[in-house]
This record gives sequence, C-alpha cells and structure tokens, in this order.
Amino acid sequence: MIIAARRLTKEFEIKANSAFGKPLRLRAVDSVDIQVEEGQIVGVVGESGSGKSTLGRTLLGLLNPSAGTVFFDIPDDVLKEYDGFLRDGDAKGAASIEMEYSIFKKKGEKLKKIRSGMNMVFQDPYSSLDPRMNVLSIITEPLLAMNYMKPDKAFDRCMELLEEVGLPSDFAYRYPHELSGGQKQRVALARGMATLPKFLVLDEPTSALDVSVQAQILSLLRKIREKYHIGMVIITHNIAVISYMADQVNVMYAGKIVESGPKEDVILNPVHPYTIALISAVPGKMVKPNRIILKGDTPNLINPPQGCVFHPRCPMAFGICGWTADEIATDLKYLVNDKFAGSFNDKVVVSTGTGGNLVINNTSAGDEMTLERIINDEKGNMKSLTAIEGLERHGTNIELKIKGYQVPKMYNHDGRKVSCLLYAGDDIKA
Amino acid sequence: MNQERAKRWDNTKLSIRVFLANRTALVGLIIVLIYVADALIMQFDPGLLGITQVNTLVPNFTNPVPLPPSWAHPFGTTFPGVDLYTSILKAIRIDLFYSILVVAVGSVAGAVIGVISATVGGLLDETVMRITDIFFSIPYLILALAIGFILGRSLMYMSLALALVWWPLYARYTRSQTLSTKEFTYVEAARASGVSRTRIMFRHILPNALPPVFIQISLDLGSIMVIFSTLAFIGFIANAKVPELGYLTSLGLNYVQTAPWAVIFPGVAITVFALAVNLLGDGLRDVIDPRRRS
Repeated sequence: MIIAARRLTKEFEIKANSAFGKPLRLRAVDSVDIQVEEGQIVGVVGESGSGKSTLGRTLLGLLNPSAGTVFFDIPDDVLKEYDGFLRDGDAKGAASIEMEYSIFKKKGEKLKKIRSGMNMVFQDPYSSLDPRMNVLSIITEPLLAMNYMKPDKAFDRCMELLEEVGLPSDFAYRYPHELSGGQKQRVALARGMATLPKFLVLDEPTSALDVSVQAQILSLLRKIREKYHIGMVIITHNIAVISYMADQVNVMYAGKIVESGPKEDVILNPVHPYTIALISAVPGKMVKPNRIILKGDTPNLINPPQGCVFHPRCPMAFGICGWTADEIATDLKYLVNDKFAGSFNDKVVVSTGTGGNLVINNTSAGDEMTLERIINDEKGNMKSLTAIEGLERHGTNIELKIKGYQVPKMYNHDGRKVSCLLYAGDDIKA
Repeated sequence: MNQERAKRWDNTKLSIRVFLANRTALVGLIIVLIYVADALIMQFDPGLLGITQVNTLVPNFTNPVPLPPSWAHPFGTTFPGVDLYTSILKAIRIDLFYSILVVAVGSVAGAVIGVISATVGGLLDETVMRITDIFFSIPYLILALAIGFILGRSLMYMSLALALVWWPLYARYTRSQTLSTKEFTYVEAARASGVSRTRIMFRHILPNALPPVFIQISLDLGSIMVIFSTLAFIGFIANAKVPELGYLTSLGLNYVQTAPWAVIFPGVAITVFALAVNLLGDGLRDVIDPRRRS
C-alpha cells in the first residue's frame, strides 16, 4: 500500500460561546480506515461538510490527526500485521510498526523524502497559485524546497512538466492571472507531480472549472496515472467524476466512511441507505421511481447523533439505530397534538424526563390502545416510532419504553464494506 | 536565464506603462518630485534660489504688518514682516524631512510588530492588540501632544511623538494582511510541496501581505504632514523662528481678514502636498496589484 490510514480521527477545537466556557470539539474525521495501492485511484465522495477535504489533508500530514495514523509506502503484510495488533489491542506491536512507517513519526531529512513522495492538487486553482510568482517558480518550488534537484536542472524539468500537462513552454514566464482556469489547474497539476510523487491527493480537482475543461483535466489525470503509476485519492462530490476516474470508492457521511468498495459495486449497486440516496440524486435520463430524497440537514458534528450518525435522515432506519427520547418526542407531539388531536383530550402533553425517558401526561382511559394503534400505523413513515418497545400506564401518565441502540461497525456485505446495522447480520441480537 | 532578464525588463516597462496610464497619479508624482527637489536644494545649495538662512525665518520688525504679493515678495509677507515665498521654500524641507521620519519609524516598527504578532499569535498577539487598542482609544492629536510634552519641545521629539502615536495603525494593518494571506490556499499548497516555514514566510506571505502596507505608507505621508503642521499650528514648536508650514499659517492668523494671503499660501502648500501624495498612492496601487496589470 502506498498510503494506508487506520482509525484516523481529526477533531477541531472551536471557541466556546462564552469566554469561560469549555472549547467545543468538532470531529471532522471519525476513525477512518482507507488505503491506496500503487497506481490506484481511490475516490472519496460525500456532501459538503462530510470531512472529505479534512481527510485528504490529514492523509498528507498537512493536518495532525487527533488519533490514528497514516502509513506511507507500507508493505501489505506489515499492514496486515498492524491490523492484527489493532484487533488484539497490542499497543506495543502497533507502536513499533508506527515508528517505522507512520508519516507522523518522521522528522528532518526522512520527512522531506516522504514529502517529495506525495503532493496535493487543490480545488480552486485561482487561489492555490501564488499571484506573485510566475509559472516557472511555481512549478519548480517543490523541486527546490525538497532538494529534489539542482536549480539548473529544475528549469529543464519545468519545461518537461509543462509539455506533460499540455502547456506551451513560453508559459513558464507567465503569471497566474494571465492564465485561464483550466490552464491554472494544469499548472497546479504540474506542480503536484513535479517530484514524481507516488501519491497525490486531488481535492475537487475539477469543480471550479467549466464542464468542457473538466473532461480535459480528468483525462489528463488518467493519462498521468497510466504513465507514472501514481496512487491517487480523488475527493469530490461529483458521482460522475468518481465513476469516470476511480477504482475504489469510499462514501463519507459526517466524518465517517459509510460504504467502501470497488467502483462497480458501490456506484451500480449501492447498499448503504445514504449511498443509495446519493446515487439516486444524480440527474439522469431515466426516471427513477424509487428515488430517495433526503430530508433535513447534515448533522451537527460538535454534537453528532447517537448510534448511527445517519439515522435521523435515514429512510430505512429501525429500532436500534440510536433514537433518542427527544427525537421520538418531536414525532409523537406531531401525532398526538396535531394529526390525531381528535383522538385525545386537549390536555395531553408529550414530555421527556431527565433520565431520557418519554412520558405522555394527562391521558384519559383507553388512550394507550389508541396510541398503540397509531404507532403501529405510522411506523412506516416515522422511523423514530420503531424504537418504541412498549407502553406502560402509571395513573394518568403513559410511559414509553425505548429500545437500546447500537453503533454500526464496518460489515462485509456483497463485496464491499458497509457501515449500517441493516447488514450487521448475527452481530445484533440486542 | 537571459530570457528571464528580458522578461523582468518587460515587467518594469509594464509597471511604468500602468503607472503612466493613470494621469492623475502622474500629476501627483510630479508635484511630489517638485517638493522633494525643493527640499534637496534647500539642504545642499540654498543659494541656488537666493536663500541664505535655511533654518530660521527672517523677520522684518520695521514693517511687521503683512504686505500683499508684489515683485519683491511673490507670495506677500506675513507677520512679523516674513517673506512667505522664501519661508515656504525653507519650510517644505523641514516638513518633508520630519514627515518621512515619522512614517518611516512608525511604519517599520508597526510592520515588524504586526508581522511578529500575526506569526507568533496566542498571548503575544492578544497583548499587542490590546496595547494598540489603548492607543486607538485616545485621540491621536491629544496623545501626540501629551507624549511631546513629556519628551520636550523640539522637532525631533515632536516627530518621535507622532511615530509613537502612529505605529499601532501599521501594526494592525500589517497583522490583518498577514493573517489573511496565511489562509490562502497557495500557502497550504507550498506546505504540501514541502516548503519550510521560514521560506513560506518570506516567499509567499510577506510578498503578498506587505504591498498593501506600502501603499498605506505612501498614502499616509500626506496626512502625517498635515498632522505635523497642525501640531505646529497650535503652537507645539521649538522656537518662534522655525520655518514650518503650520507655524507659518498660524503667524498670519490674526490678519486673515485684511491679509488672507498670509494664511492661504502656506495652507495651500500643505494641502497640495497631501493631495499629490494621495494621487501618487493611487497610481502605485495599480502598479503593485497584479490583477490591474493585465
């Protein structure tokens, strides 16, 4: 593996609202495992704010992870050994492998050597090129900064690279503002591959470009991959880009990888509800009868939903996905006080207790029967109701029991890994 | 490499062309050059313009009341019988020198403090910014007067007082420029390319953060001269014989109804310079901004 990340987590500290409050922690990337083989293109797809870009930057060591590690150029059997250590909780064995291969343990000349083996192409070529440097200085910068070659040779290398990315050699003395968006991105690409890295992170390489130029850049990237066998991580929100470029696809949601596998499987036959929703949102000629349109926003990462992070928006969620009393109460209030208000007296109130229990106050006799019927009828629409285990009457109050929840792990299913309790199989007996 | 040199020359030519395209900036440049030329002549060969005592005003107590402009006194005279034309020529040297001194000391100190504050960050940054807040919370003229009063009545101390009042402005501006430049993707791209921190600072951040500060400095030269002469105008001056534009204006103040020229000519000398510097700064902005060049 040219790059392998294990349990990679990145948290950002956010200033508290009040001057004396505790700083809040935002978990942008949450124990992500990802690996890239030599010459492989791995796609990371997800909506805005899902942590894709943070993942890309952490893979390169531009950000320091809060937990977990990234290995560079690690032999497959060593990685397997490391996974074994992680599974068995052997901290000592894991640490010894980290010492050897983790990019965060390298310093000085060794770090420089690794640095020259990887680079990044950014989303916006308008701001990723220094406006005060000409193309020659931009492209030769990594060569000189990492002592990759002598300055007099760097000029020839720059000319070579310009030809490689399809720009005329007199562009060397132009400044970024004299170039078009596509030309700029070609320059950024030339800079990225100047030191012939083994690994490149492409962060939305085409989303700032015209559609006609996008195709040129993508086919250029493919050509470069064929020629130099560079392992790439391509970060995008564009399914079309992924399906054109990638060998492997990782779908990210709220900092977690929810589905990961070969492109053919994940794109053509998605199994995770989020992936299904994502793919079905791609506009196409065919009318999709079973298109899933997600409701609501991406979760707040400072205080993510318990259980499966996707459950509040999930169309296939069920009892043990992590429903809280508050989430159920919101739906119940709507049912009791609005939709079926006629079936109950006026004073009925849904309230959540401090202990996370859910109580309906001021009910009349026989309400539990009505309630049970309504819950059973509405379960299909309001997934939160599936978490209600039973009702119990205490005087005029009806207490609702909520099922326990589980956090999904990565399960093997149909040739890919998926993080959804639907595919947990025998693991869930709760 | 020859090609690069040619390109650089092309660049200079382009800069000049961009600047010349801005007519008002050209006018500003010419006026500023005239002031500078006058100051240099006064410094090295005042006899060229028939002036002998460069550092003092020459009063004529036999006829102290201001006289209107005439062949003998092209700008007239002011109280007490001081020839305005020669006095203004002398005063420009003093005003220009001390204004440049104030801007140079204030901007260099401020810019260095600002860059360090932005780079180090944390507690130091917070402390420096609170100190600048204190400076901003006091009206600058009053603060300059207070500092000058403590230091003593001389032109040198007066400009030092102004520099002390002025550095927080540059510190703030440089800091904000540095902070915003730091966030540009090209800085991160440089990090991804393995460029060291110091190299990023000197190759990427400073070259992009400082030019706007230079513009600010060039623009401020005019306003500093105005403030310098304001201080002199309200009497903050070493002795009654210093040729200084603000002081010259104040001399004619009592005669403003009968002899307006005694106030108008020194005042115009100040205003024209401030205006010219502003026009020049505008032109420089065009030259420095790569986007205005294409």
